[in-house]
Amino acid sequence: MPLPAAPLRRALIAALAAFALAGPAAAQSPTPVIAAAADLQFALAEIAAAYTAETGETVRLTFGSTGNFARQIRAGAPFEVYMAADEKFIAELHREGFTRDSGDLYALGRVALMLPQGSPLEMDGTLADLAAALADGRLNRFAIANPEHAPYGMRAQEALQSAGIWEAIQPKLVLGENVSQAAQFALSGGAEGGIIALSLALAPTIAAQGTHALIPESMHSPLRQRMVLLRDASPAAARFYAYLSGAPARATLRRYGFLPPGEAM
Amino acid sequence: MLEVDLRADGPIPLAARFSVAAGELVALVGPSGSGKSTILRAIAGLARPSGGRVAAQGEVWFDADRGVFLPAHRRAVGMVFQSYALFPHMSARDNVAAAMGHVPRAARPAQAQALLAMVNLAGLEDRRPAQLSGGQQQRVAVARALARAPRALLMDEPFSAVDRATRERLYREIAELRARLTMPVALVTHDMDEAARLADRLVVLREGRTLQEGAPQAVLTRPASPEVARLIGVRNLFEATALAPDAEGFARLDWAGLTLETRARAAHGARVHWVIPDGYVALHRRDRPSRGEHENPVSGVVAEALTLGQTVQIALRPDHAPQLPLHFSLPLRVAQRNGVAPGVRAAVSLIAEGLHVMGGPGA
Amino acid sequence: MDWQALWLSLRLAFWTVALLLPLSIFLGRRLAYGAFRGKGLVEALVTLPLVLPPTVLGFYLLVAFSAQSPLGALWREMFGQPLAFSFQGLLLASLIVNIPFAVQPAQRAFEAIAPEVREAAACCGMGPLRRLWSVELPLAWPGVLTAMVLSFAHTLGEFGVVLMVGGAIPGETKTVAIAIYDRVQAFDGAAAAQMSLALLAISLGTIAFSFAMSRRVGRRLG
Repeated sequence: MPLPAAPLRRALIAALAAFALAGPAAAQSPTPVIAAAADLQFALAEIAAAYTAETGETVRLTFGSTGNFARQIRAGAPFEVYMAADEKFIAELHREGFTRDSGDLYALGRVALMLPQGSPLEMDGTLADLAAALADGRLNRFAIANPEHAPYGMRAQEALQSAGIWEAIQPKLVLGENVSQAAQFALSGGAEGGIIALSLALAPTIAAQGTHALIPESMHSPLRQRMVLLRDASPAAARFYAYLSGAPARATLRRYGFLPPGEAM
Repeated sequence: MLEVDLRADGPIPLAARFSVAAGELVALVGPSGSGKSTILRAIAGLARPSGGRVAAQGEVWFDADRGVFLPAHRRAVGMVFQSYALFPHMSARDNVAAAMGHVPRAARPAQAQALLAMVNLAGLEDRRPAQLSGGQQQRVAVARALARAPRALLMDEPFSAVDRATRERLYREIAELRARLTMPVALVTHDMDEAARLADRLVVLREGRTLQEGAPQAVLTRPASPEVARLIGVRNLFEATALAPDAEGFARLDWAGLTLETRARAAHGARVHWVIPDGYVALHRRDRPSRGEHENPVSGVVAEALTLGQTVQIALRPDHAPQLPLHFSLPLRVAQRNGVAPGVRAAVSLIAEGLHVMGGPGA
Repeated sequence: MDWQALWLSLRLAFWTVALLLPLSIFLGRRLAYGAFRGKGLVEALVTLPLVLPPTVLGFYLLVAFSAQSPLGALWREMFGQPLAFSFQGLLLASLIVNIPFAVQPAQRAFEAIAPEVREAAACCGMGPLRRLWSVELPLAWPGVLTAMVLSFAHTLGEFGVVLMVGGAIPGETKTVAIAIYDRVQAFDGAAAAQMSLALLAISLGTIAFSFAMSRRVGRRLG
């Protein structure tokens, strides 16, 4: 009868052997991984495609919540470029030594009120109608990104606070894990509307599903969006980073509502 | 020669000691829970008791004092399980060949075939157990046990799962097979008749202890104690007091007031138990009066006359002790001819030769 | 259809099964036949991943894999990469998550073999390994196969743990389940539907297969 430890031992030996096999192939990591905030979903995909067409080099994109990425970077995630929806996250990472430098500002983000087709709400960026809807019962659910770790969620909260309805709207809120998911919720029919990134509202697939109204900058703190090369970034990553600051990339960003600081909307 | 000495405290207590000579068939008998199967499993190496020794033809398989214990697969033992335990995914031939690890691979199929032929299963070698009848499966199990070229053959209630007719046939086959078997055979059974028919010797067990060993006839007619007598199903078990012996020194017993002559010895005044097998209770027949004196005559009234097939089981209440009935049986013909029926008076003789005296109460 | 993600998922499922196969057989058998102290604890541990929410599991694994923990640090030293966010990290998580699927059906199949049949094998002179090979595996293999198929399908569908531990890195940790989630967020319903259908078909196929195998185990021993 085999010893109790033997089956475990066998499994470990086999596992290590397999890891050794599976290891080298994956360790090459030829193409750099770009961690980008969810609001760049469509804009960055276009930019990356143009980059590949122009240079023949590819990059791998992964979208998610800015805050989540920061946490993962701290845990050792192998990202090489980090594009955050709020520069605050980059400042912290820079302080802790995870980044090469303090990065570059690439845009000022804006939030928009997004309404699905057939919504009883009105296109009012000042959110006055939203307040009215809250009072007269037209509103059941309202989607925003999670203010805890998503910058667009934080700005949505600020806008709602400016409109004086943050407390009142609490029970009706549906929180998206990132701003993309918030857009999902806003448009899927489960909610009467939501506050999402302008860049998402301008994307063709989303724009087709509803209407949006820009929310005045005065209603929330600025969304200074920064990108940075991480500490162990490869030359290939650096090349893409440089491309992001170039004219073609900027043009694409502008089309999606990502205005460089200083330019008015 | 198979030497068995097993001791254990619990949960199944064991204090068994017996041996089986080469070519001999010993039956382990006793009620359920008497540890018979445990003993067999311990001999096979499937269980490890806390103390004792098992040796087969000189090879020590188990010796508690010396810390020797060979697991089952290292003992050349052939075991026939009560449920046969054939390998369901193998044919009969492969089942038998599975035990032939000691035989060169090339020779196995032929030898397996030969063994199956020996147990009268020629032609069925390719069948799976599910395609065989109970009796056929049993034979495969025996062939497989023999294929091991065992130093001891063990059989655990091998006939309990088959019907009567098949069982009779199997008894005959085992008896025939025995002529060719040179190893000791130990058979466990709860059926006394089966044991008496198949075995050279009986070992009577109760709660793991050997109570008596001996040839079936000896055990059945001269049980060592009232306990054994009860276990083997002797019904004429009584108490008596020994009186002064007769001229030849044989004990005379006072059985509830009746004096009995015996061919046994007992101390004057001792309280004893005595038994007399069915066969030694002779009816005083009306159709054939006896020529000699009546030994130990007992008169009484027939209380029961149960007809079972061609035999009548009779209980006779003696006049001197109606609460102590005597049991015996008669062929149906004889019972009818002598008008033996409940309520009728009858007389029997207790043949002194068959009257067996055992120790006192509690013995 | 994200072919890279599908290929990644298949690779992950394949390696999970390959590495769990010996565990399935040896641990399944040991639990079926052994009576050792701590057996109850081992069985509970084997069942644990089944009842634990994937995010809880994912959380603990993330902590265990992070560069700050002993395991993560050791890995980083040996291979220069963090354990989390790597295929290997995913594989390790997958192995742990799939233990109940790999062990329990095999254990049941071994248990279903009558003890007397195994004892008879011993009395035929077969040692433990010989018994495993000639008697136990031939009778229990449908259960082992079911275990492998369930583990395979479960790995393909694993989401919560992968999300926590993986980081959704394309080609590395972005499995097809993650890809579906990603496509939904990108409002690409068509791609999401395509991949979902593929996974659904595989899951149904798995269930049908394992049912057929259970019937087979029953027939063998009947």
